Amino acid sequence: MEAIALSKHEHKPLQVNPIKLSQPMGATLAFLGVANCLPLMHGAQGCASYTKVFYTRHFNEPIALYNTSVSDITAVLDGGDYSILMAIENITKKNPTMQPELVGLCSTGLTETKGDDIRSVASFVELPYAYVHTPDYEGGLESGWALTVKALIEQHTQPAQTIRANKLVLFVHVSFTPLEAEKLKEFCESFGFEVLACPDLSTSLDGCLSEGQGKLGAGGITLEDIRRLATCAHAVTIGESMKAAANALKAKNDKIVLRHFDALSGLANSDDFVAYLMQIRHIDPKPNIKRWRGRLQDAMLDTHFLIGSSQFLILGEPDMCFGMCALLQSVGGTIEAVVASTYSPILERIEAKNVFVGDLEDAQKHFCNVDLIVGNFHVERLLHEEEKKIALVLRGYPNYEELGNALKSDILYEGSTLFLFEVANKLREVKHRL
Amino acid sequence: MVSRAKIKELLNESACSHNKEKKKGEGCDMPKPGLAAGGCAFDGAQISLFPYADAVHLVHGPQTCLGASWETRETLSSYGGRNHTYMGFTTGITTQDVIFGGDKRLEASIEYIVKHYAPEAIFIYSTCVTAMIGDTIDSIASETSKKYSIPIVPVHAAGFVGGKNLGSRLAGEAVLEHLIGTKEPAYLSPYDINLIGDYNVTGDMWQYLPILEEIGVRVLSSLSGDGRVGEIRTAHRAKLNVIVCAKSLITLCRKMQERYGIPYISVSFYGKRDTTNAIMQIVEALGDAALVAKAKEVLACREAALEAKLLPYKKLFAGKKAVLNTGGNKAWSIASGLQDLGIEVVATSIRKSTKEDIEKAKEYLGEGGVLMDAPASQQAKVIDEKKADILLAGGRSLYTALKKKISFIDVNQEKKVSYGGYDGLLNLAEDLRHAFANPVFRNVAASAPWEVH
Repeated sequence: MEAIALSKHEHKPLQVNPIKLSQPMGATLAFLGVANCLPLMHGAQGCASYTKVFYTRHFNEPIALYNTSVSDITAVLDGGDYSILMAIENITKKNPTMQPELVGLCSTGLTETKGDDIRSVASFVELPYAYVHTPDYEGGLESGWALTVKALIEQHTQPAQTIRANKLVLFVHVSFTPLEAEKLKEFCESFGFEVLACPDLSTSLDGCLSEGQGKLGAGGITLEDIRRLATCAHAVTIGESMKAAANALKAKNDKIVLRHFDALSGLANSDDFVAYLMQIRHIDPKPNIKRWRGRLQDAMLDTHFLIGSSQFLILGEPDMCFGMCALLQSVGGTIEAVVASTYSPILERIEAKNVFVGDLEDAQKHFCNVDLIVGNFHVERLLHEEEKKIALVLRGYPNYEELGNALKSDILYEGSTLFLFEVANKLREVKHRL
Repeated sequence: MVSRAKIKELLNESACSHNKEKKKGEGCDMPKPGLAAGGCAFDGAQISLFPYADAVHLVHGPQTCLGASWETRETLSSYGGRNHTYMGFTTGITTQDVIFGGDKRLEASIEYIVKHYAPEAIFIYSTCVTAMIGDTIDSIASETSKKYSIPIVPVHAAGFVGGKNLGSRLAGEAVLEHLIGTKEPAYLSPYDINLIGDYNVTGDMWQYLPILEEIGVRVLSSLSGDGRVGEIRTAHRAKLNVIVCAKSLITLCRKMQERYGIPYISVSFYGKRDTTNAIMQIVEALGDAALVAKAKEVLACREAALEAKLLPYKKLFAGKKAVLNTGGNKAWSIASGLQDLGIEVVATSIRKSTKEDIEKAKEYLGEGGVLMDAPASQQAKVIDEKKADILLAGGRSLYTALKKKISFIDVNQEKKVSYGGYDGLLNLAEDLRHAFANPVFRNVAASAPWEVH
């Protein structure tokens, strides 16, 4: 087998069984984390329809998403303003009780190719409006999400000169689940911070039964909170992809102190994070946090034998892959290969036998060398073709195979502990069958 | 590329029931900006052709088109070779291609597929961006087809040309122009039919194919459930085209009638009555007295067997009333199934139905049945008035069922088992039995401690 090098350029003309997802899909997810947002995709109707079905099945929840339904006629004659304004008018007319606080518009390959001016439409939209350029022939899910966060800040956060001492904002990468966002917020709050996450999926896609779902983004950060983000004393980014968003915030108020973490998985990364919080607040973590650290230490010892003698294949968005590798390697796991959906500089920092951008066809060539795969549900079908028993831990989008996807957490002491046990148990199933 | 005249012709399908109410030149509606759902033309084209498991389906476009859509449909196939319906192939074009054109990438992708996967055929789907930048898909398809000696079929259904329905028609056009009539069948029988528009979702076709086989009707080709490209190429030799619950492919059937003199009929295989009717329609259209007699005999036998199996369910469901809130042909087809099980359907939705569907719903529900044109606001009231026991609707209506403390089935969810044919009715019955017996709706609807006053 010829090794594929890590590169920004593709190594073949097509993708077979892709794991790459598109930028507008990432943008949609980000808008769904803004309270009462009306996510609007500017493209032909299929882009939004596919995306809506995709998230509906992954989360098992109604998903709010509309489209501008660009047709052959508007594709040629319209500069974007007609279909965007018509869409907003049609939606609000059809739902007179609906009160969107923000129209979140993302473009697509079609409308970027024809070069629509989605910025100047703003002056005709009577509602608060955020726009983001997300052609689906560039980047992927992670960059689409990150670009949207940056756009929200650039377009809606008001510049400030002062800061609130204990106000902290979290910018987490796209692979954070709603529960992970919540766990992280609570963790920071326990140190006495006033915490916001932008966007915030913990109260929107967490799967909480309520009436009248699916017309607008449910929970999430409010537009008012986004406007006042520049009064935060601290901005924390998790994942390489989120650095640009934090820099955009810094441009609104130079007093904000930025701090970056590549990941929050595993003992060392969690320790770094706790040390950071302690340094600002000068207080000890709550007893429960210390207790979980002890549990993680114990879990590492309990699982090191199984994981330390195993080979892994990690598939997904770059920032997520980085964290998974760090956690598994901390207990001796050998990463046979990381197959990432798109290129990111963070991939250069992963130490593994093979790290490259590719698809499941490429990944499949490594199946014979591994005991466990971390990846999305598409891997499952491919495993049926293998003679060898290989374990699968389902992470990332999409997961149509399992329920409760919003409520998985692999971060900090607690999530890392549970993840290690899950991996070890799955390994035991395939490795010790007599 | 598709000419405007062709799009107009397809939009104005004279045989389509959507069209009868419209003024001249109006055709099927163009999608309105601001829609919350509804697929594009590419979606429709892909749905119509994707079940061909022996072909590779190459999507020439950016990431959303295939990235979000592959491995999502339970279109089962009995194909013994490598089943390409479980796979996704896309050129995944980048900025470079948008600027300089994607032709080279497309050619290289075709070469790669032929070399590594050796499929029976390749369908190339153009998409919004590749249609817009003017990639020469037609000539690449015909050149590579000659070079590799397999059919390589361009499908021109870029998302922006219209909705799913139009895309499905455009897929039919591609099949008609490039595949049908390019090969002769190994042998012919007097009872050869083509099945058009059944995609074998969850194995729907397999519910009724054994009955057709027992009667002696042969399925020469299918578009495209459990289909093979090799077979659809011989479709011009069939005696009859049978359209299954799909108005979109009527254009193809009309053209096949004009070109090859093959008559067509439209049927549905939901519920007992429809299945029986469908099979009788097929054998009668084939016009052979012996075949009709054989069909009657087989159906009588099968119906009796089904009735025996349904008896315990009918006892269980006696006196139960259902409200149905779903779109299109499901508004009457599921109603029909419920009635076959002895459940009274007191209301159904007609919000998204064609005139034909409404007529059928009226016929099935009878005098007392409520036809809801604004089900979201009407269904709660209807449940109270008619004292319904179960609501069958999309996920958004779940809350109504909880409030009314009645059972619920999400009929819009991707189903895992088939409700088609005779045996599908037993699957529906099982799902209903579980829904009626499940205390979850009552339990979930309990008040929280802080809500009790």
